[in-house]
Amino acid sequence: MGRVPRNSIKSLLLLIALTAFLSGCGVHHSRNDEHVNDTVQQETLAPQPFEDEFDLEDEFEDAASADIIDPLSGYNRVMTKVNDKVYFWLLKPTASGYRAVAPEGARLAVGRFFRNLLMPVRFTNNLLQLKPKQASIELARFVFNSTVGILGFFDPAAKHCNLQPYPEDFGQTLGYYGVGSGFHIVLPLLGPSNLRDTIGLVPDHFLKPTSYVEDSEVRLALRVYKQVNQTSLHIGKYESMKKDAVDLYPFLRDSYEQRRNKQIEE
Amino acid sequence: MRYLLSILLCLLLSAVPSLAEGPAEARELVETRIDAVMLLLQDESLDKAERDVQIIALVAPIFDYPTMAKLSLGKKHWPQLNPGEKASFSDLFIDRLQQSFLEKLDIYTDEKVLYGEPLIKGKKVHVPTTLVSKDSRIEMLYKMYRAAEGWKVYDVEISGVSVIQTYRSQFDGVLSNGSIDDLLEKLKTDGAFTITEPDEAGS
Repeated sequence: MGRVPRNSIKSLLLLIALTAFLSGCGVHHSRNDEHVNDTVQQETLAPQPFEDEFDLEDEFEDAASADIIDPLSGYNRVMTKVNDKVYFWLLKPTASGYRAVAPEGARLAVGRFFRNLLMPVRFTNNLLQLKPKQASIELARFVFNSTVGILGFFDPAAKHCNLQPYPEDFGQTLGYYGVGSGFHIVLPLLGPSNLRDTIGLVPDHFLKPTSYVEDSEVRLALRVYKQVNQTSLHIGKYESMKKDAVDLYPFLRDSYEQRRNKQIEE
Repeated sequence: MRYLLSILLCLLLSAVPSLAEGPAEARELVETRIDAVMLLLQDESLDKAERDVQIIALVAPIFDYPTMAKLSLGKKHWPQLNPGEKASFSDLFIDRLQQSFLEKLDIYTDEKVLYGEPLIKGKKVHVPTTLVSKDSRIEMLYKMYRAAEGWKVYDVEISGVSVIQTYRSQFDGVLSNGSIDDLLEKLKTDGAFTITEPDEAGS
């Protein structure tokens, strides 16, 4: 491993950084380009009203036909309930208390700091998914935000250059290369996941700088703090989402799988 | 020959704008309505109940609620209902849908809504929007089709999760194990569906 010529790595990184900087604030405009191809297909646009509403139905699947493989449903239901309790009994009260004492500006800054730290995860997975443009935006964001943005507590890249992060993780990378989701697993504390995404947590773990903190207590404290801080910024969202659920477990499961499929498509 | 050509050209020119109007028009509809909704949502001086009534009235013309109600049950279940059941289901479902939509817009946006270029999907148009808040961006996609009166929303996707698809799977679940009355009962519970735990009614 140590034999990899240093110079070539250096120059590669330099090249990427250079590209990112040269394209600078203009890069984000390319986001809209993706839509152009679709908009060009004007010929499909002859306004032909649908004969009846069920013509629209084709794109939806019947729940029965979309059999999700769910061998762990018994355990998953229990774990969903446990996580729900953890949220309402532990996480939410803690986060609410924290929210009452810490000003929002500080909590937002902490959130940005942790997000900046996770750049290696996004950067690497963008590269693995052959998305060099997004990877270079991630790199540019990191360099810019870690310096001008003072260790990532601020996000001048998004604010002044509209360079938005491109969240990608290893589960998505696996999906990108055609790995199916496997069965659904509700992870303790972490919530809905599936076999593919759970496996994906391992490489991502090694890409997180926080995983290299030596003292395990500090590592745990960091994780808890990050979660409490994050929750304090989103109190009410889970509650609101829950209102749409007839039965919580299948609702969360289907929403998770739908969202992941969409993320992988992008 | 030249005459023919000019006719052809004239036809082409007149045809182009009307074709291009489709998606742009759909986006325009969404943009004007949702921007107006955002103004109302951010207006602290309004009474919440009154504000909600105004917002619902504002978006009603671009949402095809009856179609959404039918789609949420689908060909499989909708035709099985008698007219009375259809009516009460639609009323309850539409009410639920409106409340839920309002709440999502409110919760996920504290800065602004961005509108993307409309995407053409066969006969349908998707209007992508982004709900921007201080620390997150949520993608909200309005899926529209051309109804007799113009573009109408028949489904909304939030972070890639289709609202109609989610209701479909859930309603199918309820109806496979129970009757339409069970479903109506669940929909009647104010604000939220009945879930086992009573302690987290939320606010």
